[in-house]
Amino acid sequence: MTTLSIRGLRVGYGRRLVLDDLDLELGVGVHGLLGPNGAGKTTLMRVLATVLRPDRGDVRLLGQPLADDAGLRRARRRLGYLPQSFGFYPRFTVREFVEYFAWLREMPPAEIPLAVDRAIERVGLLDRADDRMKHLSGGMLRRAGIAQAIVNDPGLLLLDEPTAGLDPEQRVEFRALLRELGLDAVVVVSTHLVEDVVAACARVSLVDNGRLVFTGLPDELIAAGEDGDSGDSPIERGYTAVLRGAREAAR
Amino acid sequence: MNRVLRIELRRGTAPLAALAMFGAGVWMLVVHPDHWAGRWAGLANYFRGSMLILCALMVAAGAWQAGRERRRDLDELIGSTSRPGWHPLLVAWLAVALAGSVGVLVAFAGAAVLVAPVATYAAGGWWWTLLVGVVALGAATACGTLVGRLWPLRVAAPVAGLATYLGLGVLLYQDTTAAAWLSPVHSGWSVHWVVPDRVIAGQVAWLLALTALLLAAAARRWRVAALAGGVAIAVAVPIVTGPGPHRLPADSGAVELVCTETGPQVCVSRINAFLLDDVAPVAQPILARLDGIPGAPRRAVDHAAAPTGTPDTPDDGTIWLSLEQQSTVRGGLASPDGLRADFRAVTWPQCPAKPDREVSQQVYLVSGLAAAWLLDEWNPTDPAPAPAPADPALESLRAMPLVQQRAWFAAYLDAAARCDVSALLTLGRPR
Repeated sequence: MTTLSIRGLRVGYGRRLVLDDLDLELGVGVHGLLGPNGAGKTTLMRVLATVLRPDRGDVRLLGQPLADDAGLRRARRRLGYLPQSFGFYPRFTVREFVEYFAWLREMPPAEIPLAVDRAIERVGLLDRADDRMKHLSGGMLRRAGIAQAIVNDPGLLLLDEPTAGLDPEQRVEFRALLRELGLDAVVVVSTHLVEDVVAACARVSLVDNGRLVFTGLPDELIAAGEDGDSGDSPIERGYTAVLRGAREAAR
Repeated sequence: MNRVLRIELRRGTAPLAALAMFGAGVWMLVVHPDHWAGRWAGLANYFRGSMLILCALMVAAGAWQAGRERRRDLDELIGSTSRPGWHPLLVAWLAVALAGSVGVLVAFAGAAVLVAPVATYAAGGWWWTLLVGVVALGAATACGTLVGRLWPLRVAAPVAGLATYLGLGVLLYQDTTAAAWLSPVHSGWSVHWVVPDRVIAGQVAWLLALTALLLAAAARRWRVAALAGGVAIAVAVPIVTGPGPHRLPADSGAVELVCTETGPQVCVSRINAFLLDDVAPVAQPILARLDGIPGAPRRAVDHAAAPTGTPDTPDDGTIWLSLEQQSTVRGGLASPDGLRADFRAVTWPQCPAKPDREVSQQVYLVSGLAAAWLLDEWNPTDPAPAPAPADPALESLRAMPLVQQRAWFAAYLDAAARCDVSALLTLGRPR
C-alpha cells in the first residue's frame, strides 16, 4: 500500500535546482535514502517533513495532500521527524522534552505520559529520563531525538542521519528498533552508512544531483556492483556502480 | 496544556524571570519605603512607578524566551509538528508573564504585610491601579515575545529591555498629557487621588488589546493582529483625547480629616491617620508657640486635604503639612525635622518673585531668623546634624523676655504679609 507519494517534485534554492522532477512512491517498511553529499537527500527529507514548500509537484503523505491546510495538519499529526541538525532545550529533562513534542504533535493528553515513557524506553534512555538534556552525551541526545520522533507512533517517520553519534552497540539496537517500527509505518532513513541500509532497510532509493537514480531492494543495489567497482563491501560497490552509471547516462 | 505550561514554568525562562522580578521588586521597595509605607494606595502607586524597571525586565525575558527556538536550532523540528504555531508561543508567553508577575507580586506582598497593620484607609480602588500594572507586565512580555521572534539573537533581549527602559522614560516627560495614560508607568499622582473608572477600564482594555496585537504579530496571525490593532486604536483614542493625569479628583474618603482631641488642633487625612500620633507631638509645640500671635496659624492640617489651588503659605489660620512621603516601614514619622520644616511656610515673606537680589538676601536672612525662633532650632529633634553655628541675632532675640519675643514675631508676620522690606530689615536686628 502506497502511503507516501511524490510526483514531479521540484525544489530550488534561488537559481540552483536541488530536486528536479522527482517521483517516489513508498509503502510501509523501512526505506533507506542514499546519495552523496549535496545530492538533495536532506532537501527531500525537509519536503517530506513539511518544513520546506516545493516549487512544483504533488506530495501526499499518508494519503493527505500537503497543498491544503487541513490535509497538512492531519499529515503532521502522524509524522515523526528527526532532522540532521537536532537542537534541544538544555534545561529540559529527557521526559519533559519528549512530552513537549508529544503535545506539539497534538496527542490526546491522557495518552501522553504512557507514550512518553514507551518512546524513551524504546531508545534505551529510561534510566536517564529525568536527566537534563544538557547532561547527555552526543549519542544519548540522538536517541532522545529519536524518542521525540516516535512518541506519537507515527505513520511516517523521517530520520535524517539518525545513527550519527551512536556507538556500534547502539547502532545494532537502533537497527532492530527500525525494523520494529517499519512493521506498521513508513520509515525513511537518510544516511551515508550503507551497512545500516543493508541491515535494516527493506528498500533503498539513491538520489544524485537532485534526481532519483535508483530505487529497489538492497540486494538489487548489491547486484548492480561488480568486483572492479570501488568500495569495501558489496553494497558500496553497488552504490558506486549505480552512481557512475547515472552520471554517464546524464552526459 | 497544563503539563506543558508546568514544564515551561520550571524549565523555560520563567524561573529566571520570576527571580529577576522578585529581586527588582525588593530592590525598588527597599530604595524608597517612604513612597509606599503605611498606605495601600501608596503601595499600588509605587508598583506602577516601578513599571519603568519591571516592564523593561519583562520585555527582556519575553525576548529571551521567544528567541529560544531559533537559538537552539529547534524551529525546523517544531515547524514539522501539527499544533498551530501560536499555541507554543502563547504557552511560552503565559509562563514568562505569570512567573514574572508572581515574582514581583511576592515582593510586593512582603511589603503588603508591613502595610496591613499600619494602614488606616483601605478603600479608594488602589487594587485597580495594581491590576493595570499586572496587565501591563503581560503586555511587556508580549512585546518581548515579538522582538524575540523577529530577532532571535542573544543580544536582542538586553537591547530590547534597555530600549523599553529608555522609551518609557521618555514617555514620562510627556506625563502632563492624556497620552500618558497609555504608558504603564505611573506618572506620580498622589496617594489620595483617585483615577476615574473610565480611565482604568480604558487602560486595561488598551493593554489587553496591545497584548493581543503583539502576540498575534509574533505568531503571524495577521487577521487577529489587525483586529486587535483596531480595538487598541479604538480604545486609545478616547483615552488620549480625555483629561490628563494631573487633574485627578481627590478620594473623599481618603482625605476625610482625623484630628487631635486635645491641645492645638492637628488634622491628618484618613489615609495618613496612622501618622497622627507621631505628627501631633511635633506640630503641637510649634502651634502652641504661635498661640495668640496675630496672623499666625492656629491649626496644622495634612496637605492631602487641601482644596485644589490652595497656596502653600497660610492665610486662613491653617498651616499645611506634607505627609506624602513621611512614613517609615513600620508606620512612624520618617522625618520629624522635615515635618517641622513645613512650618517655615509661616515665615515666608509675601514678596514679589524677583525683587532686588541684595535686598532679597537680607530679607531671606530675617525670614530664617523668624523660622529659627519659631522652630526652636537650637534644640533640634534630630541630633544627627551638626549644631548650627551661633547666630548673634537669634541669641539677642532669645535673650528678650518671652512677651517681647512674641511681639517681635507678630511684627515680623505683619511685615512679611505686607512685604514691608524696611520693617523686615529692622526686625533683623533685634535688641
